[in-house]
Amino acid sequence: MEVYQHVIARQRKWMFYLLALLVLGWAVTPWQPIFLGLLLGSILSFYNLWLMQRKIRKLGEATAENRSVRGIGTFTRLASGALAVVIALQYEEYFHLISVVLGLMTAYIVIFIDYLFNKSRV
Amino acid sequence: MGLLAAAIAVGLAALGAGIGNGLIVSRTVEGIARQPELRSALQTTMFIGVALVEAVPIIGVVIAFIVLGQ
Repeated sequence: MEVYQHVIARQRKWMFYLLALLVLGWAVTPWQPIFLGLLLGSILSFYNLWLMQRKIRKLGEATAENRSVRGIGTFTRLASGALAVVIALQYEEYFHLISVVLGLMTAYIVIFIDYLFNKSRV
Repeated sequence: MGLLAAAIAVGLAALGAGIGNGLIVSRTVEGIARQPELRSALQTTMFIGVALVEAVPIIGVVIAFIVLGQ
C-alpha cells in the first residue's frame, strides 16, 4: 500500500504549491483574469485528481476483497471539465478562457512530471 | 451545425475514454486478482494510465463546450 499512498501525497503537495503560486499571481500581478482562469481550471483539475485517486483506491480495495465497484468516475471528470468552461463562458469578464483550459491540464502535468522524476521508485 | 459538431466531439471523446479505461481496468483487475500483494504497484500504474487516457478526452469535451457557447 505504501507506494500508492506516497504517490498520492506527493501529487497533492505539488498541487497545493501550484495553487498557492496562482493565488499569489492573482493577488500581486496585473494579469488578474489570466490567473483567475488558471485558478478556476486548477481547482477543478485538483478535484479531478482527488476523484481519480479515490476511485482507483476503492477499485483496488474492492478487487482485493472480491467485491465489485460501480465505476471509476470518468464521466464525472469529463463533466467537471465542461463545468469549468461553462463558468468561464458565463463570467467572461472575470476569467480568461484559454487560461481555464490550460488550468484544467495542471493535474495531468503534475502526474506526468512526478512519474518522470520518480520512475525508479514507482 | 455547432450543436452537431459539439455532440460528435463529446461522443467520440467519451468513446475513446471508455475504451481506454476499460482496457486499463480489466488488466489491472486481472493483475490484482492474480497477485494481491502487487496491488499498490498495479494501482499506481493504473493511475498513470488513466491520467494518460483521460487528458485528451477532457480537452475534447472542453472544445465541444467552447464551440457550443460561441
